[in-house]
Amino acid sequence: MNRTTAAEPTGVPPASGRRSVAQRTAARGPAAHSSAAHRTVGQRAAARIAAAVVTVSLLIVGSAASQGTDAPPPATERTATEATAAERSVAERPAAEGTPTQAAGADGQRPGARQSQPRAAAALAPGSAVPVRPAAPPATAPKDPAPRALTVEGTTINMAVVEVGVSPNGAMEIPEPFDEAGWYRFGPAPGATTGTAVIAAHVDTTSDSAPFSQLKSLTPGTLVTVRRDGAPPVTFRVTGVELMAKDAFDGASIFRRDGPPQLKLVTCGGRWLDEQQDYGDNVIVTAVPA
Amino acid sequence: MRTSLFTAGAVAVAAALALAGPAQAAESDAQLSVLHGVPGLTVDVWVNGELTLDDFTPGTLAGPLALPPGDYDLAITAADAADASAAVIGPVTVSLAANGNYTAVANLDAEGNPTANFFTNDVSQIDPGKGKLTVRHTAAAPAVDVLAGGTAVISGLANPNEETLTLDPGTLSVSVAAAGTTEPVIGPADVTVAEGTHTVVYAWGSLADNNLQVAVQNIEGLHSAPAGVPGGRSGAAEAATGSTGQVATTVGIGAAALLLLAGGFAVSRKQPAFRRIR
Repeated sequence: MNRTTAAEPTGVPPASGRRSVAQRTAARGPAAHSSAAHRTVGQRAAARIAAAVVTVSLLIVGSAASQGTDAPPPATERTATEATAAERSVAERPAAEGTPTQAAGADGQRPGARQSQPRAAAALAPGSAVPVRPAAPPATAPKDPAPRALTVEGTTINMAVVEVGVSPNGAMEIPEPFDEAGWYRFGPAPGATTGTAVIAAHVDTTSDSAPFSQLKSLTPGTLVTVRRDGAPPVTFRVTGVELMAKDAFDGASIFRRDGPPQLKLVTCGGRWLDEQQDYGDNVIVTAVPA
Repeated sequence: MRTSLFTAGAVAVAAALALAGPAQAAESDAQLSVLHGVPGLTVDVWVNGELTLDDFTPGTLAGPLALPPGDYDLAITAADAADASAAVIGPVTVSLAANGNYTAVANLDAEGNPTANFFTNDVSQIDPGKGKLTVRHTAAAPAVDVLAGGTAVISGLANPNEETLTLDPGTLSVSVAAAGTTEPVIGPADVTVAEGTHTVVYAWGSLADNNLQVAVQNIEGLHSAPAGVPGGRSGAAEAATGSTGQVATTVGIGAAALLLLAGGFAVSRKQPAFRRIR
């Protein structure tokens, strides 16, 4: 894709240039005919010839430039050199104790010949710390304690938290009772050392607002407390509230299993869209360990 | 004309930079794991003639090793062989594609002769809330059925074939029986299918020697996010907002507009990062 976008602009200007030269040559023909009779026309023709010369010289510059900036050949060359760099970086790995070495580190040695594969294999020799483990069924890692209840300072949010998964349509399950929130059990738990815990609840009932309708008005600094199953409560501090349009839902940015520990409280908000029987946005509160 | 040429040059340079990105070395590395599934034989594993795994014992899994894409010669010798020339298995040439994930298995064929098999692991994203289970028959045994909770979930699997199931996460009581039967020749053993994880189970060993068993390899981090968070039911929350005082509503709309802007900004900023990951 990148290649086509690169090729088009370099290809197009010379083509249009060529077309304009042809047009000008056509224009020059009749002018040359009558040049003896009309000096001004002759001058104009001369000007046109000069213009054509300029155009042609630009064309030459253009084609030279297009050769110089033509993406595909350098791209293939690049792949080859980088493959070499890749092998070299692996060859360097034993020194780095198995830490992946970036190709950039090997860039200084670019003139070097392509490394042979035995060199790459040398990287795998004993000492390069190839992890070996019994292929027995691994013991299940101890789970972080599950959240059981949620309170948000300055609001009436004081809800039971249940474990939820994914509905048949691929969306996160939301508990039916208006006073229950759901914790996405496949992601990190509140209090985990890594990643984002997600707790969601309905914003309304069939006739009224639900507790999570207060989320949109939370201010930074608001404390959120999560009581947990057999573990001390964890407290978070709100850092922000955002609206995310449902038609541009970016789940990967919410349901993170890596990155710093965070808690996200999610519900619906924005305008109610009658034709879709849904709100236009998600309200997303982000909180960090207090 | 000049301007368009300059523009073209700039676009070409930008494209060249964009192309340079994904070709960065470590990002295109293939992942290779090696499983030893030949009972009673401690071996050395050689890659391109270099000793890579010393005194590799049955039932162990090595790796994954990050290797640049390309062809590699794998050979397995008796432990403490001086070089790869007297291979007991191989040498075999394997092709590793960029970003590919593979498991090379030293195992017995159905008749009980040592051999090697090279499997490509499916590392595509798994639907949210699901896990994958692949069973590979690498044992000296006839075709088998794989039973979960006493019911055949895979039927007639023969060495060296594999079959993959997408399942709800949980712990399954898995047993392996001769095809068409339910009397276990392996198990029952608990196999955990974790959400977003591809669990690969190998049946290995020999039926005749009564040492059939399972090896397990987990490939984690294949999860994907739910498709949405449907937290609305009736629009009542919006109506409720409208019924509060006018000042509050106005402030609310202003705040919402600001939030929208912030949200849009955050989304637009996240976009490039998202693409890079893919």
